[in-house]
Amino acid sequence: MRVKYPSIIIGVVLAGSMILTGCGGESSPSGSITVLAQHHPWTTAIEPYIPEFEEETGIDVDLQSFSEEQARDKSLVTLQSRSSEFDVFMSLKSREGLLYAQSGFYEPLDEYVDDPELAPESYRFEDFQASPLEGERVEGQLVGLPIIVEGPVIFYRKDLFGEYDIAPPEDIFELVDAARQIQENTGGDVYGVAIRGLNTALPYTFGPFFHNMGIEWLAEDGSPNFDTPESAEAIDLYATLAREYGPPGVVSNSFTQSSALFAQGRAGMEIDSSNELQSVIDPESSSVIDDVGVMPIPPGPGGNHPTVLQWGISTSAFSENKDAAWEFMKWATSPEMQLNLAFDGIASPRASTWEDSEFRETLDEPVKEEWADTLNFVQEEGNPEVAPPGEDQPRIREIVGNAIDNVILGETTAEEAAEEIQRELGNLSGSE
Amino acid sequence: MHTNPTRRSQTAKEETGGEDTVSRRPYHQIVARLKKNMPRYLMLGPALLLAALLIVFPVAYAVYLSVSDWSPTGVKDTFVGLSNFERLLQDGLFWNALRVTLTLYFVSLIVETVLGTYLAFLLNREVPGNKIFRALILIPSITAPVAISMMWLLLYDPTLGMANYLLRLAGFTGLEWLGDPGLVVYSLAIVDIWEWTPFMGLIILAGLKDLPADPLEAADIDGATPLQKLWHVYLPLLRPIILVAILLRSVDLLRFFDTIYVMTQGGPVNASTTLNIFAYRQGFQYFDLSYASTAMLALLVVVAIIASCIMILRRRFSYEV
Repeated sequence: MRVKYPSIIIGVVLAGSMILTGCGGESSPSGSITVLAQHHPWTTAIEPYIPEFEEETGIDVDLQSFSEEQARDKSLVTLQSRSSEFDVFMSLKSREGLLYAQSGFYEPLDEYVDDPELAPESYRFEDFQASPLEGERVEGQLVGLPIIVEGPVIFYRKDLFGEYDIAPPEDIFELVDAARQIQENTGGDVYGVAIRGLNTALPYTFGPFFHNMGIEWLAEDGSPNFDTPESAEAIDLYATLAREYGPPGVVSNSFTQSSALFAQGRAGMEIDSSNELQSVIDPESSSVIDDVGVMPIPPGPGGNHPTVLQWGISTSAFSENKDAAWEFMKWATSPEMQLNLAFDGIASPRASTWEDSEFRETLDEPVKEEWADTLNFVQEEGNPEVAPPGEDQPRIREIVGNAIDNVILGETTAEEAAEEIQRELGNLSGSE
Repeated sequence: MHTNPTRRSQTAKEETGGEDTVSRRPYHQIVARLKKNMPRYLMLGPALLLAALLIVFPVAYAVYLSVSDWSPTGVKDTFVGLSNFERLLQDGLFWNALRVTLTLYFVSLIVETVLGTYLAFLLNREVPGNKIFRALILIPSITAPVAISMMWLLLYDPTLGMANYLLRLAGFTGLEWLGDPGLVVYSLAIVDIWEWTPFMGLIILAGLKDLPADPLEAADIDGATPLQKLWHVYLPLLRPIILVAILLRSVDLLRFFDTIYVMTQGGPVNASTTLNIFAYRQGFQYFDLSYASTAMLALLVVVAIIASCIMILRRRFSYEV
């Protein structure tokens, strides 16, 4: 009850402000807009450019930035009370997309991008790479524009692979061999692979294992695909890597712990987000900066389908200044701005950025070049579904994560876990 | 030593008798009495209003939510009766959360009380610098819990953390402090014990300083050993203040949230999911505020039961003194 109290006040205040702002005049691409953002590298990178936008368009921008969870809570409470408190907001479609779209929180953007006046040729809408753009569509409707992309990749120690003559894994099963050789050759000093075990964080890195077996999260009839032998095989492979060749306590690890282990030279490979590059080549915290290589997660019997995750910005359906909001959206995702941001390390969802010769020149080290190539591959081939689709993402991820954690802990077998996930996901969709 | 039952029932009789007389009084006498007491009511008014706003309203709203079907797009106009409570009682995760909450509660509370009492005796000794020490040991209790949790997260890291380094140095094998479902609750209890034992110690110290000298002198004259003095004189005399300290810690411990939220988020596989974490997840991650309210009402009941038990104990022991 204690936690609820502030939200009641916020609700009342927002409801009040909604009535007041409801008296506002006709909207036009001027005036002021509020942008709700998360504390995120993208926000830090774009902030210095905002005065340029204000000068160009005469639209004032109030950028409000909060921690990820706080921003999510705030957006939910605000949108739920149909308030126009903010006009543009950062949103993770793979997480809250379906819920927000079905609740009518997003302004549909198809009309905007199809209108040559609103999205002129210079905006180059077709320049967005397929996977991140697809990720901004919910049930066929475009509800946001991508701003940054990431995906799970493998960071590995080139020196160890060279020293012990370990062949880079060519298919997903060879990961186990590579991990075993690292661990055996170093006498257990270096773990084979640092991998995610924390329940809600796990599906993001588990996805490629699942998809590379040749299965989608859902079967064609919309039921979960965990009743297939391939799914048990994927779980078994992932759990074996984590249990046998992962660090102790792996079930509580996410990117922070994995990157710390890798950067301290205690893991031969790290399977985590491409965003972790900065952590593992940071001279202040990493002792392995000269030995890092980056490669995609290798293919399985069903091909290679990395997970791609994009952040996007969306317009609130309750915005009172949608034209100005669109101007901002268009400016922030324009080819020029994405290139500017790329120089600050923001992985662009636009193909043109990666082809830009000036940008390519900044990839002056082999590791950065490998990173860019891997990320490009992720964007081209990526599957934007981080976890089995459904409205209740946190619960879905917990179901998948907990079941696999039980296999890692040795409490259940992969087959039992697959059955459990199938049953619980089925219950979930049945109750909705 | 015990209260005289006859005296108690007499007092009770007088009180009810008094009320009977009031209700039989003519109307104008009641008005006169109201007028006489008006300043009292006026002065109490704001406090009562504030209490109503801060306590009654949220609880009432939680009750309302628990019997309705809330969704992110607003409360659907449906009264669902007690179905949320029914669901809660059948929910294995709820019972697991209750078990985790109570384990964490009893383990932390018992150790904190024993160590806190011991600490109070230590701090009571007049040695040079003990005032500085008294201030210093409060640091864990006044540091932000999130900062403490981050620090312990580093200490507990199985590979890079200090805890396992020390264990290995002493010839033991390292532990998976937060990764072992059987161990995680105790690892969290250690953090709480480290954080809150000084607080218990200082409360008990205040009681220790206020103890009457006579019983102690009498014990000395009777030739009691230090252990006998502790068991038969100090502890009975300290019981009321220890119970106050226990009450204060109990309410906080049962709502244990921030440390877990930062360190394990309730994992691995719900092994450290307390009722608070359970309700948080239902409300703010699954957006099921109705079910979360139901769980929180259950926690309210648990807190009320435990607090009442402590109050009853306290009353009994304070009569004995």
